[in-house]
Amino acid sequence: MVIIEYSELEMLIVRVREISGFDFSGYAKPSLLRSTSRYLTKHAMNLKELFVYIEQGGRAVYDLIQELTVNYSEMFRDPDYFKKVKTEVFNYLDSYPALRFWVAGCASGEEAFSMAILLKEAGLQDKSLIYATDLSNKVLTAAREGVFTLGNIRTFSENYLQAAGTGSLSDYYHVAYNRAVIAPELRKNIIFSLHDLTGDGVFNEFQFISCRNVMIYFSLELRQKVFRLLYDSLSLLGFLCLGKRETLRYSGIEQNFKIIDSELNIYQKIK
Amino acid sequence: MKAQSDEPLSLVLLGGSSGSFTIFEEILKILKNPVPYALVFIIHRRKDSTAVLPEIFRNKTNIAMKEPIHLELVQPNHIYFGYPDYHLLIGPDGRFYYDCSEKDFFSRPSIDATFISASLSGIPVKAAMLFSGSSADGAFGIKLIAQKGFPTYVQDPAYADSPRMPAEAIRQYDNHHVLLEKGFYKMIREVLY
Repeated sequence: MVIIEYSELEMLIVRVREISGFDFSGYAKPSLLRSTSRYLTKHAMNLKELFVYIEQGGRAVYDLIQELTVNYSEMFRDPDYFKKVKTEVFNYLDSYPALRFWVAGCASGEEAFSMAILLKEAGLQDKSLIYATDLSNKVLTAAREGVFTLGNIRTFSENYLQAAGTGSLSDYYHVAYNRAVIAPELRKNIIFSLHDLTGDGVFNEFQFISCRNVMIYFSLELRQKVFRLLYDSLSLLGFLCLGKRETLRYSGIEQNFKIIDSELNIYQKIK
Repeated sequence: MKAQSDEPLSLVLLGGSSGSFTIFEEILKILKNPVPYALVFIIHRRKDSTAVLPEIFRNKTNIAMKEPIHLELVQPNHIYFGYPDYHLLIGPDGRFYYDCSEKDFFSRPSIDATFISASLSGIPVKAAMLFSGSSADGAFGIKLIAQKGFPTYVQDPAYADSPRMPAEAIRQYDNHHVLLEKGFYKMIREVLY
């Protein structure tokens, strides 16, 4: 394991900003330190070599940024959460003629596909559009392909059953060359596109936003800025969902939300 | 939200996996309110574990126990537990950070994630301990802590339920204090008080 200190991380942040314009200064430093350390270990580099490598600019620094910002997810991660969305949130959304969902920080699409399945099983798919965004083109490309290993699928299937799925996860993918490919039928209501929560602005109005385990990588100040963006992107009485260990505390917008579930972090915008 | 005592914050870090649960229980029984440091217990857990450790251990000690929330300040005289499916990091600002990056040794929370972050945080470590477990997790982290000059303790693999974890720690760094079977809890008590 290659270990670096915080002082070295700060130097790296400055250099990356100078070369690429991408600013990591608002990211949670302990996580960034860990991911940088893992990046160096994986590529068998020390910090000095990394500095030399990113001097090339372009591709090299872009690769580093993508790897340091990538999120890991699973389909139906936190099955209880999906159960709750189905019972508490969908009943309410049922009355709308058309629905827009935003999965912010969608990584390789796991959460968006889960949401699409949930909507389909609730009979809401035809009037719903899911916007799934990430700042990394690399993961978006993977998301558009919708291909997972069979090992992944095994975990996803267990989660799906615990989330009280009404069928079998295999209804939603087919297997080819030892890989599972998500059914096109499921993907037709999902729009994958590039969006950086830390720099880009409001692009639509949503009845439902899930941004789970994304903001834990941001500093307090940056979190507040992103929370503002999410707030502005939500329609009145729309829902905001965060990861299990996140809360609206320190968000600056907590007074505008009603708590639907404090354990699973489901909130409704009331003003 | 400032630390109540005048002493600067220090950490006691404890890691373990299979075979460590009862050891953790016994250590909690040794602990009596107040203690001048923060204790962080990392035990491997399945991601769908619904057990709330502060509840399970409630009658073992009278020190406040919790699964911290993201960005919570680490406070002395508190006992903290990792939460399933997240790594628990300690930042240089004295706050807890959750992280859901890859598993280490098939584990999230991992002991290495917490121990490495603590060793880099600049917060003094009063003691770090590693007990029974069947993976190599924690060995690297406790080595880093030892190399920063902080006291480290590893259970004697010869009598750990699962020797792999402490054995790997000693293989990577042979200057840890070894907690022998004889006087095991007495030694831990002396370290903590």
